[in-house]
Amino acid sequence: MNQHSSMPTGGRRPLTRAERKRLIAAQEKRSRRKLLITAAIIFALLAVGFLFSSIQIDRIGAYNQQVQDGLIEGTVNNDISVYMFVRVIVIALAAVLALYLLVRLINPKRRKPNRSFWGDLFIYSIMLLFAAAMAFPLVFSVASSLKPLDELFRFPPRVFPQHMTLDNYLDLLVVLGQSWVPFSRYLMNTVFITFVGTLGHVMIASMAAFVLAKYDFPGGKFFFSVVVTALMFSGYVTGIPNYIIMSRMNMIDTYWAVLLPAFAAPIGLFLMKQFMEGIPDALIEAAEIDGASQMRIFLSIVMPNVKPAWLTIIIFSVQNLWNTNAATVIYSENKKTLVYALQQIQAGGIARTGLAAAVTVIVMVVPITIFILSQSQILETMASSGIKD
Amino acid sequence: MTQLLRRYADMKKEHLHDGLKKAWKMRTCYLFLLPYAALFFTFFILPIASSIFYSFTYFNILEPPRFIGLQNYINLILQDEVFLTAVKNTFVIAVITGPIGYILSFLFAWFINELPRWIRTVAVVVFYAPSIAGNAFFIFSIIFRGDAYGYLNSFLLQFGLIDAPLLFLLDPKYILPVIIVVILWMSMGTGFLSFVAGLQGVDRSMYEAGYVDGIRNRWQELYFITLPSMKPMLLFGAVMSITTAFNVCDVPRALAGYPSTDYAARTIVTHLFDYGFSRFEMGYASAIATVLFLVMILCNKAIQSILRKVGT
Repeated sequence: MNQHSSMPTGGRRPLTRAERKRLIAAQEKRSRRKLLITAAIIFALLAVGFLFSSIQIDRIGAYNQQVQDGLIEGTVNNDISVYMFVRVIVIALAAVLALYLLVRLINPKRRKPNRSFWGDLFIYSIMLLFAAAMAFPLVFSVASSLKPLDELFRFPPRVFPQHMTLDNYLDLLVVLGQSWVPFSRYLMNTVFITFVGTLGHVMIASMAAFVLAKYDFPGGKFFFSVVVTALMFSGYVTGIPNYIIMSRMNMIDTYWAVLLPAFAAPIGLFLMKQFMEGIPDALIEAAEIDGASQMRIFLSIVMPNVKPAWLTIIIFSVQNLWNTNAATVIYSENKKTLVYALQQIQAGGIARTGLAAAVTVIVMVVPITIFILSQSQILETMASSGIKD
Repeated sequence: MTQLLRRYADMKKEHLHDGLKKAWKMRTCYLFLLPYAALFFTFFILPIASSIFYSFTYFNILEPPRFIGLQNYINLILQDEVFLTAVKNTFVIAVITGPIGYILSFLFAWFINELPRWIRTVAVVVFYAPSIAGNAFFIFSIIFRGDAYGYLNSFLLQFGLIDAPLLFLLDPKYILPVIIVVILWMSMGTGFLSFVAGLQGVDRSMYEAGYVDGIRNRWQELYFITLPSMKPMLLFGAVMSITTAFNVCDVPRALAGYPSTDYAARTIVTHLFDYGFSRFEMGYASAIATVLFLVMILCNKAIQSILRKVGT
């Protein structure tokens, strides 16, 4: 018996783990292929139905139109409503099938416990709906910015342009060329504010976060709890008294009025401190034993280890500063920011609808692109963002 | 008794002495904290303090502030009808967009949590993009435009639901709902990111243990396992949504005009801007800011105490 079971030709030899894995994978692949083929056949049938009903609708519609216009004798053909109904049904079926496929492909047979298929289907369809609704305005603004003037004001309006054009962007260049202050000046102002503001914010906030996270000194915890409360003070609540303080310090109409509050933004300190708590104390103690100074520990041990956090606060700071129009504290035209100048163009009323859409796209593209490029680091930082009590 | 008191005082003194000694030993820490603390004090603490101070005065920047006691607050409540409209609007917006935005952020973060990596990334970008897209909400002025070229109007006209275009942004009946929709569209901000990241960090073995212990569907799993381990992120998200829900200002100003028809889109913050930066009545504006600030702090405390009870 013993000899029999160890014989290589005997089919009953227990499978090794790798073999079993390969078998399961092959089985999954086969079942997925079967699913895809079935789906393709159904889709093909639906497509035929869609084409057929569309052709019928067009044909009967044209015929009915001619009858109504009195071009040919005959009666209006009412079958058109039947074909329209068929077409709606076909589209609905295709949508349901597509969703089903999506769920099956996302979650193959190996189900996690406590997840029912119908629950997944329900949740993903709701999510798809909301995602479409969320994305629509952004897509719509990109599409509007590419429309020529006559398409912006046509009835009924369409979402997508039929004759795509870059006219709006070219017009924007023309308008900007006519501005009182050279356009590059606005751009340079924004770049300057964003760069200096972000640099200062990262340095100042990380220094504070470092001692708050890693040293237990009197007053530290209290200070941090004040910062957490300050997460709620938006620029609006503090706007008026800040204006008074700045005017006392003669900072109105200088860049400092934008930069200094940005240096002290609570969100940066908060995220940095929470992330730094994850650095093991042993690392710092070892450095202390080796005789490193506090500044040395900060610069060459802590900072290199919190790269995701400083990338994140850089990005939040850039997004914030890029979007400031600073209209309440900066009055001179040659110190205004890019967003301010663009908003002035946007406020030009109906005649500038196309330009306004182009401006919207330009303003939104920068922060969204930055986010897409850095989202994995940002999410890593946000994992430690909770407020513990 | 006196002896006890004296001993207590001694202990207190010693405690203080110890604290000071410790503080002296850690003095380099204060140096690190100093630049941030100085700026934070000047631009975040001092404004709040001075706004409370100025709220008891008449102050127009040109003349020195004149103390008038509670007059600003009395005027706010008894004479300023527009302020009461603003309070009503702010509360309607906050009560609807705050909780709904917060719950939607969490639900969607939770839904996308189990998707494959690349789909999750796309979903995060789609949901988060509106809140960072600058003034992209401006596009809603085309969607809700009051003539037949407005997207929603032409849609409704085509389907025969209405027979004349509706003035969405001018008719007081529609302004507030439109603003609420737009605010909700933008409500998946930093809190949403925090939820997405937090959900990724929940210990997987807890779910298996829960399954063994008899948790039978995803909603039970959500309530008994996921929510309790997400508490810190939930608190952070709450702070963020209170901030966005109460500080509504740019959206009504851009969409409904400033001032809007019948003050239908007036919020506390636009009222504050009106008095602060258009009329330069800084004392009165400070009183408005103080009221808003108090409401936000109270709201935050209430929500934190509710959230502490979740899932226990």
